[in-house]
Amino acid sequence: MKKKFCSVRGVLAICLFFAVIFASLATYYKVVHWGFGLKPHTGTDVWTVDAHISFMPNGEPIEVSLSTPRLGEEYKILSEDVVAKGYEVERNEKNRRIVMKSKPRKEKQNLYYRIMIYDNEDILGKVRDHAAPKVKKPEFDSEQQKGMVDNVWTLVDKDEEEGSTASKIIRLLNAEVPAPEVDAFLPVKKNQQIMADKIIYLLAYRDIAARVVRGVKISEKKRAAPADLMLEVYENGKWMMYNIVTGAVGLPKNFVVFQRGGVSLLDVSGGYHSQVRFSVIQSAVSSFKMAGRRAKYENSGIYDFTIYDLPTLEQNTLKWLMIFPLGILLVVILRNVIGIPTMGTFTPMLVALSLVRTGFLPGLICFSLIIAFGLLIRTLLTRLNLLLVPRISAVVIFVILIMQILTILGYHYDFKIAASAVFFPIIITAWIIERASITWEEEGGRLATKQIINTSLVAILTYCVISSDYIRHIMFAFNEWNLVILIIVMQLGTYTGYRVVELKRFAPLIKEK
Amino acid sequence: MWEYFKIFSTPEKLRAAGVLGMNARNYYIIGKHNKRSLYPLVDDKVKTKTLADSIDINTPHKIGVIEHQYEVENLLNIVAGHSEFVIKPAHGSQGKGVLVIKHFENNVFTTASNKQLGFNEVYQHVSNILSGLYSLGGQYDTALIEELVHFSDVFQNFSYQGIPDVRVIVYKGYPIMAMMRLATKESDGRANLHQGAVGVGLDLRTGCANNAVSHNMPIAVHPDTGADLMTLKVPMWKEHLMIGAQAYEMTGLGYLGADIVLDKFRGPMMLELNARPGLAIQIANGKGLKEAIKNVDKHCPKNLSAEQRVDYVLNNAK
Repeated sequence: MKKKFCSVRGVLAICLFFAVIFASLATYYKVVHWGFGLKPHTGTDVWTVDAHISFMPNGEPIEVSLSTPRLGEEYKILSEDVVAKGYEVERNEKNRRIVMKSKPRKEKQNLYYRIMIYDNEDILGKVRDHAAPKVKKPEFDSEQQKGMVDNVWTLVDKDEEEGSTASKIIRLLNAEVPAPEVDAFLPVKKNQQIMADKIIYLLAYRDIAARVVRGVKISEKKRAAPADLMLEVYENGKWMMYNIVTGAVGLPKNFVVFQRGGVSLLDVSGGYHSQVRFSVIQSAVSSFKMAGRRAKYENSGIYDFTIYDLPTLEQNTLKWLMIFPLGILLVVILRNVIGIPTMGTFTPMLVALSLVRTGFLPGLICFSLIIAFGLLIRTLLTRLNLLLVPRISAVVIFVILIMQILTILGYHYDFKIAASAVFFPIIITAWIIERASITWEEEGGRLATKQIINTSLVAILTYCVISSDYIRHIMFAFNEWNLVILIIVMQLGTYTGYRVVELKRFAPLIKEK
Repeated sequence: MWEYFKIFSTPEKLRAAGVLGMNARNYYIIGKHNKRSLYPLVDDKVKTKTLADSIDINTPHKIGVIEHQYEVENLLNIVAGHSEFVIKPAHGSQGKGVLVIKHFENNVFTTASNKQLGFNEVYQHVSNILSGLYSLGGQYDTALIEELVHFSDVFQNFSYQGIPDVRVIVYKGYPIMAMMRLATKESDGRANLHQGAVGVGLDLRTGCANNAVSHNMPIAVHPDTGADLMTLKVPMWKEHLMIGAQAYEMTGLGYLGADIVLDKFRGPMMLELNARPGLAIQIANGKGLKEAIKNVDKHCPKNLSAEQRVDYVLNNAK
């Protein structure tokens, strides 16, 4: 017989094992693929980057080609969208370009490429490229030109401050008071593009490969800004990214790369005056909403059948329900493992749920008032010697009246406390009063008070667990853990050890020996 | 602070002492040996009594049963010719709702505590019973009217008012532990240990006291009467055990508690049976139940008659 029970436990243990594995995998999947946070309210920063392409058609067939960020790298892309009416859109995954074709047109053309991206913390400016790039050595038209380059390099070699060659050059070229050699080397009119070209030119002289990187800085609110430039230098088998002005190494946290190296950011054939302008809008999106968008973008069908795809109202109801199993587990532990006697099995949990709604202190004060008044009235009812059902019903009606009075008083005198009265489950409250009153009559006031205190303590303990935003978030976002709770509860159904209170109750049996 | 924790024992010590815990009782004993469908046989005192009568177990004679509110009017007809009787709820527990009428004459009911009640008050009491005031879970109930037990004088000094009774725990038909419960001033005439009654552990072979506790702590004398509890000996001990053993055949419950009172004239009588007897009996006896249960499972022969089992216990009990 004992063997049979052991096997029940064994089966449950195996179930528990699988449930834990399943829940862990599901949690992992949700965190990694859906981006669910482990903490509540972790809204993720999401940027909408708009690349606005404009050009004038020249009457020939149009082909627009835009370099785009690589999907899933550096930035995670939530959604990608092209607004180009009447254009045939093709995606060239290999070269990371998006190509839009159209027959000849007349008016000025406005095309939009829009991506929603988030989180670039995974990779910071280190792109591996094992094939060493070929460097085209600059050819000089005259000895004077070569001399200028040599002069700059002499200065670079003299620089004994820390940093790589590239950062020394950047520092030198951006000095507040440039050296005469630098002045001679750089043109009078400077911009980022020219600076980048000059640095690449200098590096090429010493066989160091470098290239321009175009992209968007997304931290600031940008409207119709041109692309930002960065420099990538090939060092030790890696492309290292440099800020052209400061010389800082590494991809800044807020930079999205659209294009690298010699290829163009934008090619337009069949048009002129073409330009691309970037706009950035930052918004915080809750984990769940983002998960939905991302899942749809990744064409994952599972998401449509989870609770996170439901409307907010239903989600909130479920969020409320998902905390119940944990409360129930607590009740099981308190009763079967600890052995605290309370009034009614789930009464403390229901009281705790009410406390969550009303707020802790107001709820507790209000609850105590209702119970106290209720007991008083119940004592008066005892004298009338009513039958059970009518008597309980009378208590229920009295409880409703007490709640009504407290609510009205609360509204008039602006006590928030009293107004929370409505949230207490009336029938449960009436039964607490009835039970307490019967216990009081039959077993005396001490036991009745003890029971009420026990019930309140268990309710407060349950409240502490279920009112935690963190726990509620976990139980909702990773609701597969409820399966684990279910099996733990079943497992506790086979717990045959002593309850904690029994250690005290049966202690006299030991002392005799 | 640490002093407080000293009142706790450890699971190892309790296990070594063979103490049966609540969870283990529910899981291994009750869950395994007591079929749910058999519970009504013991939860309803009218059914228990009918069953007991059918196999000649001694119980107080039934005077009448009131099942419906309209029948309450007949109360006077039912009790006509009886000058003393008890009205109790069929589904009551722990003596709740029991009205003892020790003298009835000219429509005046005199209770055990010498209170004089008129018909209306008794009518109200019976109505309360029917509405489920004293029953478990408040379900509708039946009022049982039976003859008064004339308690034996043997225990007079050992009990402060109230009804001393013997509780026998029967496992698979073998009585495995017994105790006597004595009312005290504190327990207000009732025999419930948690209300302050004294529990006296009884030797299974002789019916002699072997241990006594009040509020879980060992005592030697009755707190109110001052009687030496260790001199307590239950007469007609074999008959007591017989009632418990027969209750097994009668109900089919593998684990039960039989409450037995000793009547001056008719000897031991079964008052009620319990399918979920409490564990306080271990404290009263100063030993755990597990050993006796294991003993029955391993050594006690099966397929014996009730009398053979009682003889076995009288000869072999430890």
